[in-house]
Amino acid sequence: MSATRIVITGMGAVTGFGFEWQTLWEKMLGAEHCVRPWQPQDLQDNEFPVRYAAPVDMTLLPGHLQNHPAWTLPLEKRSRFGWVAASQAVADSGLNPGQLREAAVLCASGAPQHMLADMLLTQAPDGAAPDWQHLMARAAEVSAEGSLRQANDRLARVIADDLGCEGPVINISSACAGASQAIGNAFRMIRRGEVDVAVAGGADSVLNLDTMAALYLLGAASGEQRWGADLCRPFDRDRSGLIAGEGGGFVVLESLEHALARGATPYAEVLGYGSSLDAYKVTAPQPEGRGAALAMQAALDDAGLQPQQIDLINAHGTSTPLNDVAETLAIKQVFGRHKHFQTLAVSANKSQFGHLIAAAGAPECIVTALACLNDLVTPTVNLHEADERCDLDYCAGQAVSRRVDYALSNSFGFGGLNTSLALGKYREHGQ
Amino acid sequence: MTSATARIAIAGSGCVLPTGWGVEGFWSAAREGRSAIAPLQTPLFHSERIAAFGQINDATHQRSRQDVAQNLQRYCPPAVIWGVSAARQALAEAGVEPGRDGLRYGLYCCQGGYTHPSVASYGELLQESRTDNAADMNRLARQVLQERALDPFLVLKSLSNGLLGVVSLALKLECECNAYMQGVAGNLAALRQAHSALQSGRIDVAIVVGAGSELDPLALAALAEAGVIGTDGSRQMLAFDRKGSGGIAGEGAAALVLRRAADLPPEPQTCLTALFAHPRLDALSLPDKQVDLLISSATGTAHKDADLARTLARTGAAHITSSTALTGILSGAPSLVDLILARQMLQAQSIAPIAGLTQPVDTHLPFVSGEPRDAVLHDCLVINRDDNGFSACYQLDLQADD
Repeated sequence: MSATRIVITGMGAVTGFGFEWQTLWEKMLGAEHCVRPWQPQDLQDNEFPVRYAAPVDMTLLPGHLQNHPAWTLPLEKRSRFGWVAASQAVADSGLNPGQLREAAVLCASGAPQHMLADMLLTQAPDGAAPDWQHLMARAAEVSAEGSLRQANDRLARVIADDLGCEGPVINISSACAGASQAIGNAFRMIRRGEVDVAVAGGADSVLNLDTMAALYLLGAASGEQRWGADLCRPFDRDRSGLIAGEGGGFVVLESLEHALARGATPYAEVLGYGSSLDAYKVTAPQPEGRGAALAMQAALDDAGLQPQQIDLINAHGTSTPLNDVAETLAIKQVFGRHKHFQTLAVSANKSQFGHLIAAAGAPECIVTALACLNDLVTPTVNLHEADERCDLDYCAGQAVSRRVDYALSNSFGFGGLNTSLALGKYREHGQ
Repeated sequence: MTSATARIAIAGSGCVLPTGWGVEGFWSAAREGRSAIAPLQTPLFHSERIAAFGQINDATHQRSRQDVAQNLQRYCPPAVIWGVSAARQALAEAGVEPGRDGLRYGLYCCQGGYTHPSVASYGELLQESRTDNAADMNRLARQVLQERALDPFLVLKSLSNGLLGVVSLALKLECECNAYMQGVAGNLAALRQAHSALQSGRIDVAIVVGAGSELDPLALAALAEAGVIGTDGSRQMLAFDRKGSGGIAGEGAAALVLRRAADLPPEPQTCLTALFAHPRLDALSLPDKQVDLLISSATGTAHKDADLARTLARTGAAHITSSTALTGILSGAPSLVDLILARQMLQAQSIAPIAGLTQPVDTHLPFVSGEPRDAVLHDCLVINRDDNGFSACYQLDLQADD
């Protein structure tokens, strides 16, 4: 452990709830969710089996963000959300351009937003391989807003250029653990003394025909219709799969020394970061939660915390049959030996704003930081009858007022990679 | 020693490159100045303007497949298979066996930039759904969902952490991990994370893997539009040469196993002693002292390489060489490949020439051309530059054990 303390001094979140973290927090404490009926934009027959999602609602865009350049430059949707979230986080931090000059940007932006219609442009009419002239001619017609024209590090570059950050620009690529890994990497970079300030998070949108079709065919996305828009039910016996959301989240991390020197007030302290691999299956978590437990334990070790000090776990909680049981078992492996385990709060956010895939860890880290700041735990909504194998205190139904000194935020991804961040209530004189 | 000053050595390396399977083939090609760039062969499109590519041939690909279990291959685009194979080679050379040797591992991966699934993956499906000017998306959706016309693993194949996931499965690694994207910046981030994890004492062995391919018409179109590759039909990439008319893309994978030098047998080790980076090449920090050898990536375009040469001159290196003309411009493992080459040259005390170089962009700089050159080499710099200007510099020293 190093003596360098790292704090969160700025936050930005774009979700189905809106474009500011304050809205996200308020709606979540009110036990609301923003899942609603959804069909892919390209289809008219209303037959797509995935019928619900948590898309960003552009009608909620506040006036002061309407002229943000993200809405006018040729960018993928995920990059627009990410750029706005990063701008919000920096504005929230109060950092000025001079203070940002040496900052690092760490960004997870997931898989590209495929556009089948664009791909069609490259096909010769007779089905033969197109020649180069045809390809280049049609390539010019490919939407500048689609991934086919954009490298995967576009968002990280846009944010760095816009903010004038000349520090390291790092594109993290860790599926659903991406944003958490970005924040964890930023934390480590500051702790190693490589930078004083980092803007870290992620953005994603998988709400398109081909990605959602593939997620559905893999059995990950829910096609359930029984519960209407309440179908995302983490840890519930009737959970049926993930409900995709879209958006972005970023935090500004600073060394405490740097933050205090400029008069900033930290929201929370980042204390540790752990990662692990399941080495089990590409599409399923290790059923006993071994990898997830390793990540949580690594985060605790990194933070110098004991399991009994943790008050809250912001769970990955995808509402998939496999994840929620495995995560519960993992939590028991790490915390089950201690008495306080009976009162450990576990809360899942995805039933409120959907699964933001690569970006998921960022708003969830923000919610965890706010729980530490306010001693309030957001509820796991739509959890009515817990799966008998899911027997923890999931804070079902409504927000809970309770002391949160230390918390973990879990994010797990396809490919079997696991990340856990350890956060703590900011205290002037240390933990 | 587990401190910020612990020396970190390259204990093993592996690669799957256009030069073939393995470091030996790469080193032979490098010493002979034999470029592996060849006429582009793909059923996806015909082009007279982009006629060459640093391509993995079928024999090399088939050899690599032997290193990946059959049940994993369905999740793998070719580059991921090459990455697993490169990692296995590096582990074998390092003499370590995850899960059996009691050592703590870290896995850090970097995948190339354009990870959207190949147009070829969608080709048939798109043709069947074609109408006069567009696609019948409702029909397409029905085919996908009811007839499973879309490979359900496509979304997994396009995930840019696929390399990390599959390497971990193939090698049974439950360790700490990170996955990065994109060229030099991704390689640097992975190497930095590995380096610092070893120095912190958190792990004993770091596996760093990079892999990527741009063999896709739209990826190549994007590279052409960005000016990264030339479109004059050239079949040879000329690095730092006044006749250089443009870059040529390549594909492949490379892996390094890093360890603390103090944990290795008492024999000379190639140590990675410093890593620098900056968004602009001209602002890149460089070591104060002169080095014996410099390896630099090249663009293949004469005026850009001449600009690059001005930065190289600042190093005062005694010899300058480049691997780019051997393999083409790599998206997933550019720095790893150059670090492998650097290690080979330091160990052999011999400098591989720049393949095809006859008219250097700067005659005052000590570019090595023609035959390999024997020299006393204690240290080496590697300078890599992404097409967006992001640049990294790595310093390696050949060090005897204390």
